[in-house]
Amino acid sequence: MSTLDTWLVIVGLTAVTVGTRSFFLVLGDRIPLPERVQHALRYAPACALVALIAPEVLLSKGEMVGSLTDPKLLSAAVAIGCMLVTRSMVVTMAVGMAAFTLLRLL
Amino acid sequence: MSGRVLFGAPPALADARREAFVAGLRAVLPALVATGTWGLVTGVAMVKVGLSQLEALGMTLLVFAGSAQLAALPLIAADAPVWVVLLTATVVNLRFVIFSAGLYPFFRHYTLGRRLLLGYVTSDVGFAISLQRWTAERAAGPDPDPLAGTRRVWFFLGIAAGNWLSWQTMSILGIFLAGQVPGAWGLEYAAILALIALTVPMVNGLPNVVGALVAGTVAVVGAGLPLKLGLVVAVIVGISAAMATELAQERLVGARRGGP
Repeated sequence: MSTLDTWLVIVGLTAVTVGTRSFFLVLGDRIPLPERVQHALRYAPACALVALIAPEVLLSKGEMVGSLTDPKLLSAAVAIGCMLVTRSMVVTMAVGMAAFTLLRLL
Repeated sequence: MSGRVLFGAPPALADARREAFVAGLRAVLPALVATGTWGLVTGVAMVKVGLSQLEALGMTLLVFAGSAQLAALPLIAADAPVWVVLLTATVVNLRFVIFSAGLYPFFRHYTLGRRLLLGYVTSDVGFAISLQRWTAERAAGPDPDPLAGTRRVWFFLGIAAGNWLSWQTMSILGIFLAGQVPGAWGLEYAAILALIALTVPMVNGLPNVVGALVAGTVAVVGAGLPLKLGLVVAVIVGISAAMATELAQERLVGARRGGP
């Protein structure tokens, strides 16, 4: 890609960031959102985060991980359990990363 | 007080703004491990794909969108037409259109310029933390505090500031260290673990649990779809499943009471 094209992409991507992220903030006055839709959006945060995470944990190069003892899968399970018990992000990160490193080295 | 430039002069207003800003920073702090790691990975990737340091710096400072940047890089490397790169990034960013609809009721009073700025600094984590908190506040009843709106926006800005700083610092570090970061560290996975820790407390109540399970399943099944469309479909189907669960619960309670 030429230098000019690269900078066109950079400027264009900036417009994409602003356009998508402020879409309804700007157009919400003109495109009214039904009460039901606004109500449903309460569930968006958890759904979006899980949808980001699940493929990273369960897939490896586009394929389902082969075994239940896969380092990523097992350390994710450890992290979920740890977070449910301790409610501490720092502890969960430390335990999860220790589990991941240990399982990879085994 | 040096905070005057940032928070304004009237003491009551300045105090409310500062408190909310700091609360936002505190709320996002644990998630910054994920943001920073992701920034580092993106910084390294931009240079590895062949961007010059100047182009990579321009991209991180202006575009400020990890997933869109990461999706654009292989296309840039493959010399794809500019419009294809931009279209791909738009689709990857579609989830933010959904997020902006969620944030709209809270930011609708602001001027166009401020709404554009608030949109620009929205992140996955920032949206999730804020909406979670504000929905709980709303459920607790109307807030008599006249500064409630101000507190919300400054809480959001506190999150954005922490997020921006950690993202940019680590991304720039990645650009300059691109040659020296060993892939064997498993750094990317630390980011995923941080996201897991952030998500667990949000999956509360049956509708959220069902929505999360469905969204996760659809995301995995749809991971092969082009342009990361699987992510968008997963969010929409997940929300629908959560709503359906909520309705079913209400019907069940209604039936038990002997109502229609």
